[in-house]
Amino acid sequence: MEHSYIDEFAGSRDSFLHRLDPRTKIITLFTLLLFIILSPANAYKNFFLYAAVIFIQILLCRIPLLKVIKRSLVVIPFVLVAAIFIPFIKEGEVIGSYSLGYFNAELTRQGLLIFWNISIKAYLSTLCLILLIATTRFTELLKGLEKMKFPRVIILILSFMYRYIFVIYDELLKIVRSKEARSVTGFRLSDIKIFSNIIGVLFIKSYERAEAVYLAMLSRGFEGQVNIFTELKFRGRDIFFMAILIITFIIIKFIR
Amino acid sequence: MHIPDGFLTFNVWGAAWLVSAGGISYCLRKTSQVLKDRMVPLMGVISAFVFAAQMVNFPVVGGTSGHLLGGILAAILVGPYVAAVVISVVLLVQCIIFQDGGLTALGANIFNMSIVGTMGGYLVYLGVRKISGKHGPIMPATAIASWFSVVLASLFCSFELVLSEISPLNVVLPAMLSIHMLIGIGEAMITCFVVGFVIKVRPDLIYGK
Repeated sequence: MEHSYIDEFAGSRDSFLHRLDPRTKIITLFTLLLFIILSPANAYKNFFLYAAVIFIQILLCRIPLLKVIKRSLVVIPFVLVAAIFIPFIKEGEVIGSYSLGYFNAELTRQGLLIFWNISIKAYLSTLCLILLIATTRFTELLKGLEKMKFPRVIILILSFMYRYIFVIYDELLKIVRSKEARSVTGFRLSDIKIFSNIIGVLFIKSYERAEAVYLAMLSRGFEGQVNIFTELKFRGRDIFFMAILIITFIIIKFIR
Repeated sequence: MHIPDGFLTFNVWGAAWLVSAGGISYCLRKTSQVLKDRMVPLMGVISAFVFAAQMVNFPVVGGTSGHLLGGILAAILVGPYVAAVVISVVLLVQCIIFQDGGLTALGANIFNMSIVGTMGGYLVYLGVRKISGKHGPIMPATAIASWFSVVLASLFCSFELVLSEISPLNVVLPAMLSIHMLIGIGEAMITCFVVGFVIKVRPDLIYGK
């Protein structure tokens, strides 16, 4: 696995948004997310304007729009599984009735409103997160979070995890490839034991690697504390960007 | 089971964030007592392992595929406190990088899968082992605990949806439970096989043995 898999857009592209301080993006996008989540369901205009703000940013930072939309579809399965029946089971004003054999489905206005509410909020929030991660490298994100007093241990664990995801995933691919080279390809249900053994091997290798990493750290003078070297500075453009966006959110909030 | 943003009302996700933050910081304190300064590298690498293990899809009936949750697997291999932190970290990364589950709902997702699924599931594991004697076989306890960890997590997920008035209890509960009772069987089988494999190869790596 390559680094580009995680920092797919953040690593290879450059724009005004990419160059902002990570804290600026964390704060503004989280604020936008909260504005979206806390909007009433029937604030159609506001949702449209929030979406416009997000899409303008996506276009400005030159991330391929199609890829963003493809990525954002990840939210659809849960919405469908958890919410598809709501328009039919919620009691309220009936606006449509369909008969499917024995089952009589009645579409209600209240049910549809709930469905719309969670779908649009889930979708727009997903876009916010995509925008954040598409303009911020993971390491920068961690730096930003560290400066914002996010628990230090979690940051350290995350930075180790980030470093070893690629190593361990490569290890996994190697094991899977050698398995496939020795057998008929494709997993069948009866292969579940082979699959489990692969995970077992991977665990043992990971654990041994963790021990080796720890010993290597000890031999380099590790004394139980890791110091992350950080230098982040808010600049004029950060304050400008944050101010503009947050004022925009507040203005949108009062449009009815 | 990753709840996206917008599904939960503020009361629910706010409360879940508080409980999860408290639970995770308790686990972190416990872990740093046991593991001392080995904690950070071990947890980082094990998180990467769980993350990688979840990326391998296996077929479920009907052409769909599922992946391992790995809470009980991690709990049996590295202990419940480490496991709960590891699963939370994995959930955080899935949320930020892959948009699996929302940021405001992350507290609820951590509560369901890490606190209830992993810690609660481990209690089931301990309970079954206690009943079957201290040196009783690990496998049945592993299987039952893995199944319960998935089902309990989905149970709490349904409660959160009901509390947020997304869906009435009598609809969401049977739907969520029946799906996850099936998924739990897969989880139990894989967890058992993996634990069995590790017992055979490196029995010293099983937690509390």
